[in-house]
Amino acid sequence: MRFSKCSAAAAIASIVALTIAPQARAEQPLKLGVCYDLSKAYTFATPQVSQAAQDLVALTNLKGGIGGTPIEVIVQDHGNEPQRGIECYEKLKREGVFIFDTLSTPVSIAMLPRVMQDKNILIQALVGRGDAVDGAVFGWVFPLGPTYWGQVANDIAYLKQVHTGNLRGVKIGFVYLDYPFGQEPIPILQTLAKVEGFELKLYPVPLPGNDQAGSWTQVRRDQPDHIISWLLAGAHVVASKEMKRNGIPMDKYISVNWLNEVDIANIGPEAAKGLKRGTNVAGGQDVPVIQEIIAELYRKGRGSGPEKNLKDVYYNTGLAMYSMILQGARQAAKLHGTPITSATMREGLQNITNYDANGLMAPVTVTSSDHGGGGKTRVEMWDGEKWVPQTEWIAAYTDLIWEVVRKSSSEYHN
Amino acid sequence: MFYPLAGVRHQSYLSDSKLFPVPTDRNLLIVLTIAGIGAPFLLSSLYLNSYLQPWLIWTALALGLNLATGWAGQLHLGYAATMAVGAYAAVHAARFGIPWEFALLIGGLAASLIGSLFAFAALRVKGLYLAIVTLAMQFIMDWVLNHSPVISGGSHASLQSPRFALLGQEIASGRGLYYVALGWCALVTVFMMNLQRTALGRALVAVREKDYAAAILGVNSFYYKLIAFSTSSFIGGIGGALLVATFFFLAAPEQFGVNVSIQVLAMIIVGGLGSIIGTYFGVALILLMPGIANEILANAAALFRLPLGNETLAHIPTAVYGALIVIFLLVEPLGLGKLYANIRDYFLVWPFDQFKK
Repeated sequence: MRFSKCSAAAAIASIVALTIAPQARAEQPLKLGVCYDLSKAYTFATPQVSQAAQDLVALTNLKGGIGGTPIEVIVQDHGNEPQRGIECYEKLKREGVFIFDTLSTPVSIAMLPRVMQDKNILIQALVGRGDAVDGAVFGWVFPLGPTYWGQVANDIAYLKQVHTGNLRGVKIGFVYLDYPFGQEPIPILQTLAKVEGFELKLYPVPLPGNDQAGSWTQVRRDQPDHIISWLLAGAHVVASKEMKRNGIPMDKYISVNWLNEVDIANIGPEAAKGLKRGTNVAGGQDVPVIQEIIAELYRKGRGSGPEKNLKDVYYNTGLAMYSMILQGARQAAKLHGTPITSATMREGLQNITNYDANGLMAPVTVTSSDHGGGGKTRVEMWDGEKWVPQTEWIAAYTDLIWEVVRKSSSEYHN
Repeated sequence: MFYPLAGVRHQSYLSDSKLFPVPTDRNLLIVLTIAGIGAPFLLSSLYLNSYLQPWLIWTALALGLNLATGWAGQLHLGYAATMAVGAYAAVHAARFGIPWEFALLIGGLAASLIGSLFAFAALRVKGLYLAIVTLAMQFIMDWVLNHSPVISGGSHASLQSPRFALLGQEIASGRGLYYVALGWCALVTVFMMNLQRTALGRALVAVREKDYAAAILGVNSFYYKLIAFSTSSFIGGIGGALLVATFFFLAAPEQFGVNVSIQVLAMIIVGGLGSIIGTYFGVALILLMPGIANEILANAAALFRLPLGNETLAHIPTAVYGALIVIFLLVEPLGLGKLYANIRDYFLVWPFDQFKK
């Protein structure tokens, strides 16, 4: 009894001590707050992306940091719960973090009002509200990448190339997860269908996407010429099975950027031949920065995680995101010197010009009005072993996209 | 020792049904109230607004569910749906220009209305069947939110909430928002404490224990179940609206998903069905424990330089959290509230526990 009391008291004391343990540091690094969902819905991508962030930062620090300032990545799990995302934000904010990244739509949406209020920087590449590319309204939010609207428009532009400039009479199917992520591109597709004269067929797939039988028999009935798919992770594998069952060839399938090597392995590298996906990063390890990371970190045993993650395209996605962030910091240091503050960081990010991280991604130009960086993507095809680009980096129908963006962002009032 | 019963004599029915038969309970509550009011001056804004304030808001919400599930015995898996109705109704009302006091009321009434409508259908079945029907309510609400931009706010399904204001006074400071949460939680707590000693409360308990037997006693069980549902939905609606108005600052469907319903249910089961203090404990465990466990582990890893990857660091707290729930429920299946009651019972007669029986 006495012993258990003592040990309970000791346990409580140590817990209290650990909770309030101060983290003393000598120098003030530039801190990146990575509040990620590492345990629930987004785990298909977050380990690779956060590992990429840590590796890239480690590499940058090896080279002396940015303007002499070292960079620190603070990774914390929020389990895709808005409540815990806010907790992460509020905590890190007080530790001097002013650059936040959530890689989760619900959390990024929940964080947005606070970020705008506190004038901190929210990075939301590929997640969150798409109209946040409008820098005039969302001054502190940086999507740093294509919107889903832009991505789907670029897919259509690719199909137009395939059909030698005329989509009239072409039937395009859109298979999507029936919630905001999947529904988002629909208005753009409908507008484009009117402009280009193709026929659009919609096939909603109920969440979480592991039963798609109903949708694909409908696809078989309609026999569209191309299928654009807004599915995630395992849902692609289910889709591929249903396509096989319904006799729909794989080369009709154009996926959103969320399809990686794990999904390809699950579909079967041979069976996936001809499958295409829109992307804003180059796939594969044939990129200078990845080669450098392998040589400088992994060959010397200093990598931040398992090396097999490097073969995953989401690792490239993470590198692309953090290359842009670090480039923004470099610009900030160049314009205003160190220490970098949230205001100078914002200016730095807004001064990224034609930056492609040495062939890693589509060149981006971020301005004070366009926080998306131009929204260029390309379509790549899986040839059984690797991704083969089918187009240049393109950003099509930008006027149309911006019309939708402005219409949507005009409803936001801070 | 702590709970002296000396001098407590009941000579009338009225005195026996007092809110606090044991003076210590009252004194404890006074101390806690003072602590609650003084918290903004004692705690840093991080703890105040990221831990304490959500804890109070969620406690008020969980108390609402406890009314239906703990007191009236009706399993409810669609509580987040009523929160959503309240939140969206109130935010839309506030955006329309209606003052927040009335907007909250509109939210509560709308939730109560929709909750009762469902209850009419749901209460034709009992037990697990009721659970499934209420789950259907949750899924219908999810579907409605995901498919009607008019309600969910169009762009990416997020609806901004206007600045919160009461009596014409805009409340934006952390302290102010905390006091709003505290006030609402105190109000719901007082209501629940008083409910226990009214005819309504006793009728609810009778329905919970055996609705058939209750009917024989002359308690119209359908009527009382309906009251339980609509009251619980009312509390849930206002709670949901306050959650959006004072914490999230915008409403999004993910804030009211099925996982939230399960979470609130877990709060009251871990805390103790039909226990007020237990609800406070349960909410603290379910809501705050993951974050705190995360923090402790991260600090421990940094302190002892443990070579743990990001994923491991994220998964250990989840496992610890799960283990804690199991341990607490193994130690005391009736919940954390009962754990507290055990301690209280022990000290009620201490040191003369031979008089206990």
